[in-house]
Amino acid sequence: MNNTFVEFVHALRGADVRVSTAEALDAVRALQLVGYQHRASLKLALGQTLAKSEEEKQAFDQCFDQFFHFSSMDKLNDTPAPSFQDLPEDDNLANRLINNLSQLASNIEASLTGQSHPTPSEPGQSSGQPAQSQSPLGQLLLSGDQASAAMAMASAGQSTNVNQIQLMTQKGLYGRRMMMAMGLEAMEEEIWQAELSSDSQQLQLAQRLRAARDLLRSEVRDYVEQQFLLQAQAKGKQLRQETMMRVRIEHLREFKDTQILVRKLAQRLVKKHAHRKKVHNRGQLDVRSTLRQSIPNNGIMFNPQWKTKRSNRPKVMAICDVSGSVSQVSRFLLMFLYSLTDVLPRVRAFAFSSHLGEVTNLFQQLDINDAIDETLDAYGNGSTNYGQALLDFKEHCLADVDKKTTIIILGDARNNYGEPETEVLRELYQRSNQLIWLNPEHKNRWGSGDSEMKKYQAYCTLAEVCNSLSHLERAIDKLLIRQ
Amino acid sequence: MSSDSIISSLSPEAIQSGFADLGYICDESIAMSVYLATQLNKPILVEGPPGVGKTELAKATASLLQQSLIRLQCYEGLDESKALYEWKYGKQLLYTQVLKDKLGDLLKGAHGLAESVTRLHEFGDIFYSEDFLEPRPLLQALKAPNGSVLLIDEIDKSDHEFESFLLEMLSDYQISVPEIGTIKATSQPVVLLTSNNTRELSDALKRRCLHLYIPFPDLKLEQKIIQSRVPEAPENLRNQLVDFVHTLRELDLKKHPAISETIDWARALVLLHANSLDTKLVKNTLNLLLKHEEDIVSVKQELTSLFAKSNKSSKHRVQH
Repeated sequence: MNNTFVEFVHALRGADVRVSTAEALDAVRALQLVGYQHRASLKLALGQTLAKSEEEKQAFDQCFDQFFHFSSMDKLNDTPAPSFQDLPEDDNLANRLINNLSQLASNIEASLTGQSHPTPSEPGQSSGQPAQSQSPLGQLLLSGDQASAAMAMASAGQSTNVNQIQLMTQKGLYGRRMMMAMGLEAMEEEIWQAELSSDSQQLQLAQRLRAARDLLRSEVRDYVEQQFLLQAQAKGKQLRQETMMRVRIEHLREFKDTQILVRKLAQRLVKKHAHRKKVHNRGQLDVRSTLRQSIPNNGIMFNPQWKTKRSNRPKVMAICDVSGSVSQVSRFLLMFLYSLTDVLPRVRAFAFSSHLGEVTNLFQQLDINDAIDETLDAYGNGSTNYGQALLDFKEHCLADVDKKTTIIILGDARNNYGEPETEVLRELYQRSNQLIWLNPEHKNRWGSGDSEMKKYQAYCTLAEVCNSLSHLERAIDKLLIRQ
Repeated sequence: MSSDSIISSLSPEAIQSGFADLGYICDESIAMSVYLATQLNKPILVEGPPGVGKTELAKATASLLQQSLIRLQCYEGLDESKALYEWKYGKQLLYTQVLKDKLGDLLKGAHGLAESVTRLHEFGDIFYSEDFLEPRPLLQALKAPNGSVLLIDEIDKSDHEFESFLLEMLSDYQISVPEIGTIKATSQPVVLLTSNNTRELSDALKRRCLHLYIPFPDLKLEQKIIQSRVPEAPENLRNQLVDFVHTLRELDLKKHPAISETIDWARALVLLHANSLDTKLVKNTLNLLLKHEEDIVSVKQELTSLFAKSNKSSKHRVQH
C-alpha cells in the first residue's frame, strides 16, 4: 500500500498542495495509527497532516475523492459494489479478493513477459459442458465479482504504468495495454472460437463475453481518463507554466491561465519579502528605553536597548508605455504590481503613448483585466513621445516623488526622433530612491534607430531587458530587495 | 489514572465522547486531530473564524488529559523574555547587597585583583543558575513534571521573529538558554496554536504542525452545543435561535455571530424567561449577537423577513 501512498502524494503535489517529505512521513505515521479501515477517518488523518491551509484542504478533498475511487465495475451486475468502507468488515470477501488478486497478478505477469496462457478455450472440450468461459478474464467478468474486477484493473494499471501518462493522445494506447495485461488476448481468442462453433450454448456464451468485453473496454477507458486527470494534468500544467515563464510576453496571449501564473509568481515574491519588515540597526542606543528598563534594577543599566527601525514599504510609481508593441509587457507589469499589494501597498500607475495620465483609480475600482483594457483604450493610441510623457509626469506629480519613491518606467524608449527631455529624467533620478527602466527590447538594439535608450540609461539606477515573465519576476524581486 | 495511561488509551471516538462529557461538543475532525497530536507528539495549528471554540478546545483537551493548561497569549512585540524566561534581576541585586559582607570576608587576605577573581570563580555562576530564572509559559510547559497542555493563542498576532523562535520548541520540545544550556521537556506537552488568519504563517511552522480548520458548525452540531451549554433552554427556543443565527450567517455582515455569541444569546433569552422567539425580543437582544453598529442597523431593517425565513426553515424541519 506504500506505493499507493507515494502515488497519492504525487497526485497531491500535482494539485498544488505542497507536501514536503517530512509531512509525507508524518502522514505515514498517522496512517499506521488510523489504518485503511475507515475511509472517513483516513481522509481526516491525511488531510490534517498533508494539507495546511484552506485552499490546500479543498484541493486535497478533491484529490482524495478522485484517487480513492472504487465505484467502477458496478455496472456489470445489479448488486452494488462493495464500497471501500465495507471491505475489512467482511473477512470472506477480503480473502476472496486477495486470492483473486494474486491469481490475476500472476496472469498479468505471465502475459506481460510474453508467455501466452495455456489457452483453454478448445471448442471441442467446452462443447460438452454448459457454456462456461475458459479464459481467466472471461471467467472473472462473467462471475460478476465487481470488486476483484476493479482490483484487477487497478493492478493492470499499475503494471502498465498508467500513471506515467502525459498527453491526452496516449489514452488509447494505455487503455489497450491495460486490456492486454488483463488477458484480453485469451478472451478474444475464446470469443472467436465460440462464434465459429455451431453450438447454441457456445454462441450464447460468445454473445455474453462480447458484451462483457465492451463493458470492460469502457471501464478501462474511464480508468485511464481518471488517471490522466490525476497525474498528467498536473504534469502538463507544470510543463506549460515552465514554457510560459520563458516565452516572449507578446506571445503569451495564446495561453489560457497566464493570470493564474502571474498571481502565483506574485505570491512567491510576497512570501519571500514579507519577512523583512523590521530592520535592526545595532549600535544606536535607545536611551529612553534603556533607562526605563533599568528602573527595577535600581537604575543600573544592565540591559541596553537598541533602536529598531521599521522599514517603510516603497512607494512605487509605474510609468508604462502602452503603445503597440510594448503594451503587452505593460499589461503584465501592471498585473504583477497589483498582485503584490501585500508587500507593495502603494502603487500608482501612469500610462502614456503621447500624453501621460494617471490610471491608479481604474485599478482600485475595476478588476485587473478590465482596468488594463480600459487603460489601453484610453491611452493606447497615438505615436509614442517619451519627452512629452516625461514633461507631463513632471508637471503632474514631481512633488510627490521623494526619497522613498521607486519609479519604474517600462518602454522601448523609441521616441520617433522627438526631443528626449533627458533633463527631466535626471531630475526624477535625483529625487527618487531608485529609478528602474525595463525595456522589452534586447540590449543590442538599445540606441539603434530612434531608440534613446543609451541616453536614458545614464539616469537609471537599473536598466534591464524585460520581455518574459521570468525577466519580470527577477526585476520585481530586485526592486523589493533594494528598497 | 496518570496522564500517560490516559493518552495511550485514547481513540478518536473516546476523545469525542470524552469531550462531550466535558461539555465540549465537537465533530470527528477535531477528535481526530487531538488523537493524532497525542499519538504522534505533534503540535496542532488550529485555524478558523473567531469564536468557534479554538481556545475552548485547548481547555477541554487539558481537562480530558487531566493536565494543567498553560496559556501564552501572543501580541505584537512578544519576545523571548516574556514567552520563555527572564532573569530575576531584583533578586540578583538583593542577594548581592545582602551578601556584600560575606563577599568582603571571602576576599579578605587576597592579594591583588587576579587572586580575588580566582576566589570568586570557585563559587561558580551562582547568580546565573536556575534559582534566579523566572520561567515564562514556554519554559513552564517544558518543565511541568506530569506533562501539560500548552496553548499558544493567536500566533498570527506575533512577529515573524517569534514564529521562527518557536520552531525549535515545536519540533524538538527543547529550548536553548545561552547562560544555562539546552533545556529538554521532562514530558512532552501537547501544544495547540491558534490563528485567526490575519496573516499567512510561514511554511516552516505549518510543516511542523497538524492543521485543523474549525468552520462554523452546522445546524445539528450547534443545537447539540447549545443543548450541552445551556440545558435550561427549552427545545423549541433552542431550535428557533439556532435557525436564526444560521440565517444571519448567510448575510453579508462585518462580523458573523460565532458559537460563543449564540451561547451568550441563549443564556440571555433564558434569563428573560423566553419560551419562543419573536421580533421584538430579537430586536432588543440583537446587540448580543452582532457587535458592529452597521450590522445591527442593517439586520434590524430586514428583521421581519429574516425572521419569517428562519421560522419557515425550522418548521420545514419539524415536519420531516
